[in-house]
Amino acid sequence: MNVFNINLPVVGVQFNILILVLIGFCVGVIAGFFGEGGGWFVTPALNIFGFPMAYAIGTCLSNIFGQSIGATKRHQRMGNIDWKLGLISVTVSIVGFEIGSQVVLALEKTGNAGNIIRWCYVVFLSGLSCFMFYDYFVLQKRQLNDENEIPGTPVEDIQPCRSKIAERLYIIKLPPMISFPISQIKAVSLWIIIAIFLCTGFCSGLLGIGGGFIIMPTLIYLIGLPTIIAVGTSLITVLFSSAYGCFIYAVNGRVELVAAVILLIGASIGVQIGATAVKYIKGYGIRLLFAIMIAFAALSVITEQFYKMTGKSFFQTMAEIILLGTALIITTIILSKLYIEIRKERGRY
Amino acid sequence: MSIKKIIALLLLCIVIACAFNNSYAGDVGGKEVTSLDHKVDTTNLSGVNLWIADLYNNNKLMYAIVVTLVMAALGTTMAFGTDLILKMFGMDVTKISHRE
Repeated sequence: MNVFNINLPVVGVQFNILILVLIGFCVGVIAGFFGEGGGWFVTPALNIFGFPMAYAIGTCLSNIFGQSIGATKRHQRMGNIDWKLGLISVTVSIVGFEIGSQVVLALEKTGNAGNIIRWCYVVFLSGLSCFMFYDYFVLQKRQLNDENEIPGTPVEDIQPCRSKIAERLYIIKLPPMISFPISQIKAVSLWIIIAIFLCTGFCSGLLGIGGGFIIMPTLIYLIGLPTIIAVGTSLITVLFSSAYGCFIYAVNGRVELVAAVILLIGASIGVQIGATAVKYIKGYGIRLLFAIMIAFAALSVITEQFYKMTGKSFFQTMAEIILLGTALIITTIILSKLYIEIRKERGRY
Repeated sequence: MSIKKIIALLLLCIVIACAFNNSYAGDVGGKEVTSLDHKVDTTNLSGVNLWIADLYNNNKLMYAIVVTLVMAALGTTMAFGTDLILKMFGMDVTKISHRE
């Protein structure tokens, strides 16, 4: 396999080009499908294969920036992006992000920041995952039975399955009101939108994650977007935050350009396939896979926390295996589903 | 929104990043990355690797601009390229109807 090894000049390590392309491909599929960056997977993967953590983060952000251009273009073409809402989310989230970052700095002075933030991460991911499972297995079945099970109803007349939380927020008529036609939202208070994105930005700053992980479920459950519009629109936040992160890390010399380019080649192919798969999988199917993914991400953080508490390297290895395994399995599921649906569409089944 | 507007907004982000912040970069858990004087050993390097290493050693700002532009250009090129390839395989890449 030495023939596939390349020299990465900045980090100064030999790396197998096939592994880089595979990591890029997996993260591309996941990013295109869920409308997020996939940093939760690439950063530890690069770190496991010998990148120092800061270089792994910087290289990952550069890759996310490149791949999110392709994902945004693809979702734009499929009509999945609400630019108006996306640009509001980017602008307001920056303010929330800075507040979250300041809280982290304050926590660092107490010397216990890592521990507190990891537990916040666990609570956030576990809570969100449980809610999404509940939504999938209980709420949406009930809602479908109540509203859409009228025989003979044309598909175009079926109303989007909005969350109850979003519908309650629409009732608050605090001016100025704003509409988002692409997202099928007739009127919602601008203040509510600002408050929601301030909170998501704060969570991003506190937990140090790019945004897609938080924005996508927020758009679905709090603002009431259809799932695939949420996937496309959350990519705007990912695009801008990763562009910023890429530049800042590169200025600090923490980006390995050669690795980032190779990752991007794999990711660009993956991202187009992932974004195309959205077309073939129902909105609630996407939500279910997302819930499974973040449940395993939470499990990985809990395992990592055990390592920090006990010092046993077994837990660290387990955390890494859970992360990489989850990414590979989710990628395989998406590809399999896409393949089956395309075969069905072409009438081969 | 046109591609020109997107590029203009991205450039604006980069300018803001330059103006306000060139020493901070957050990651998971809010760890901070400080500047470091890491220099790449160029003795065994040649070609593109040597050029990248020289750029990295001599001018970090230029290195950052090159990294950002390369990723943007490659991301855009690959997006168009893979679009064509998917079309060749018969995958529909146009507007879709939404199903929950």
